[in-house]
Amino acid sequence: MTKRLSLVATAILALALYGGSASADQAVHHPLYMPDAAHVGDPALQPPPVCCAPVGPPVAGEPAPVNMAYFGGHVQVKPKIYLVFWGWGVPGAFDHTTPGMPANDPDGAAARMTAFIKAMGGTAWAGSQTQYYETVNGQNVHIQNPTNVFGGAWYDDTNPVHDNLSGLELAQEAQRAVAHFGITDLHDSQVVIAQPQKFNEAGFNGGVGYCAWHDYTQPQYYPGVQAGISFTNMPYVLNMGTSCGQNSVNAGYYAGRLDGFSIVLGHEVEETITDPGAEDVIDGVNLGGWYDYAAYENGDKCAWVGYTEGVAPPSTVPGGLANITGNDGKQYPVQSLWSNESAGGAGYCAGAGDDLPVTG
Amino acid sequence: MRKGIQAAAALFGAAAAAAAVALAAGGPSTTISTPTSGQKVSIHHNPYLAVAGSAAFATPQAQTTRFYLRRDGCGTANDNPHLSVTTGTDGGDGCGLVLTSVAGPGGTVDQAASVDYPSVDGMPLTLDSSRTVTGTIDLNSISVADGVAAGTGLLTVTVDLEALYQGNGVEVGSDSETVLLTPTQTEYPVAFSIQPTGTLDRADLSGLDLRVHVEGPFVAGGFIANSGKSWLDAPSWSASFAQSVAVSLDDPTFASAVPARLSGSSWSVAVPTPAIGKHVVYAQASQGFDTGAPASRSFTVTR
Repeated sequence: MTKRLSLVATAILALALYGGSASADQAVHHPLYMPDAAHVGDPALQPPPVCCAPVGPPVAGEPAPVNMAYFGGHVQVKPKIYLVFWGWGVPGAFDHTTPGMPANDPDGAAARMTAFIKAMGGTAWAGSQTQYYETVNGQNVHIQNPTNVFGGAWYDDTNPVHDNLSGLELAQEAQRAVAHFGITDLHDSQVVIAQPQKFNEAGFNGGVGYCAWHDYTQPQYYPGVQAGISFTNMPYVLNMGTSCGQNSVNAGYYAGRLDGFSIVLGHEVEETITDPGAEDVIDGVNLGGWYDYAAYENGDKCAWVGYTEGVAPPSTVPGGLANITGNDGKQYPVQSLWSNESAGGAGYCAGAGDDLPVTG
Repeated sequence: MRKGIQAAAALFGAAAAAAAVALAAGGPSTTISTPTSGQKVSIHHNPYLAVAGSAAFATPQAQTTRFYLRRDGCGTANDNPHLSVTTGTDGGDGCGLVLTSVAGPGGTVDQAASVDYPSVDGMPLTLDSSRTVTGTIDLNSISVADGVAAGTGLLTVTVDLEALYQGNGVEVGSDSETVLLTPTQTEYPVAFSIQPTGTLDRADLSGLDLRVHVEGPFVAGGFIANSGKSWLDAPSWSASFAQSVAVSLDDPTFASAVPARLSGSSWSVAVPTPAIGKHVVYAQASQGFDTGAPASRSFTVTR
């Protein structure tokens, strides 16, 4: 605990000293990507390091070391996650059907993501993040782990959709979702824009090397969009096969086909819970929550740990990809999440049921 | 209340006496016998409305569905190994991975780990797990001269069959067979047999995947012939055993439908009598993943 507090103090000091790098903020902005398994550590997919800490890029398949710090922004104390399935029922959204499955969800991906969000609340996996907090009027307010974090699902087949969506279009859809759901508490709410097989975001389609990303709407980056919406770009990760997690935990062709959906979605929603401001620095004010000096968030630091792409089942190293049991009693593959408290306070990837023996 | 229930019972009896409905081509069908067309129903005397009719379903017959192991290419991104109920000439016929094979412990050669053959047609399939899945993996050894093959030694073929059931992957069963390769033979049809798990008996499957793994001492053996030479026979039924009738009041989308009780070709259900006025009741029969055209009947609720 003492160590963590000192880290926070150091972080705040570092911000004061090195705020300049962040104040060049508006020059370059991109969302916070989750690299695919082949692009872990790719500097092009990470924001610039916050500071000068000697932390190299993470090694593929291994956790990215050093603990996260608090950067002064808010966290989602009582998270509510809203799912938008944009265009899933529009003609051309899928190139196939499956007997017994809905035409707007022939692989069961929407059903899997919905079930996962409904089931993640109250799990030890989500609970591993309650150590993080926001500071309000000098008081630390910790993230909670309620049983129900599912805000709702919206199958939007009305607003026009197309392939190669832009980030701005996703942000605009997130704003429409805020209106659709009647969300008033943006502080604790996040919107996931899930895309069907044939209508995906341009960078994902273009092979940039990520599976998904999350961001925070600010007028500088998303002109015309309501400020302060935490949202996730969730492409149809099955399109990228094993590089975005297909069969990365469960070996069976069908049993592991949808693995990537809960792994990638879990990565993004938990990053949003601990860093809903997405590391933004606006007019010198840091909106970011928790990440490390290399700008890696709780998900980034543990992405694809133990996974060798295309090899199933994965190695079972501590902190590696694994199935967790949701609050519905069913199994969901996830990646672990960075825990400052693990390994006796040194920090490690945790929560996926394969933690280090020493958890502090 | 008592009077209403008695009235409903009488109507159920009438429904049971209704003539069987011939099965419409292409799926289950249903008709509504109660209420009768334009019938007036007193809500005072009938707090519950009896709805009844008859339905026709296909009778499941035992059969066998043959799936061929097919492959469009060899060593490209478009190999597309798959199972299909149709056969033909395959571009990936005889594919195996010689150059990328990995030598395992003891000098064995793992023929590029596993190859999945998911079904692309032939679904849904109602599985009969009382019978075994049988099939053949036709293995080839490279011919190095006339009558002389490169491969010698013992080869192991492992097949794992997985089903897509209710959106989840479920293990059906597996088998492992060995075959002795000799220098004088290039083709080895390896028969396999899988006893399906009993939990999937009569289950309506959305997909099947056959995972084939070949391992042995020689990289030159273990190529899989397609074009009709490798296949599996899945014991199945011609129609699903899952039969149902759903009833919906004033809603043709069946968003809040209630299930009817089936008895032979007759069905019946009692629903709270709706408010005074004109109404439409809808009924729809389903068998497995097939849903028939809805039937409808107008009636009027009076005081």
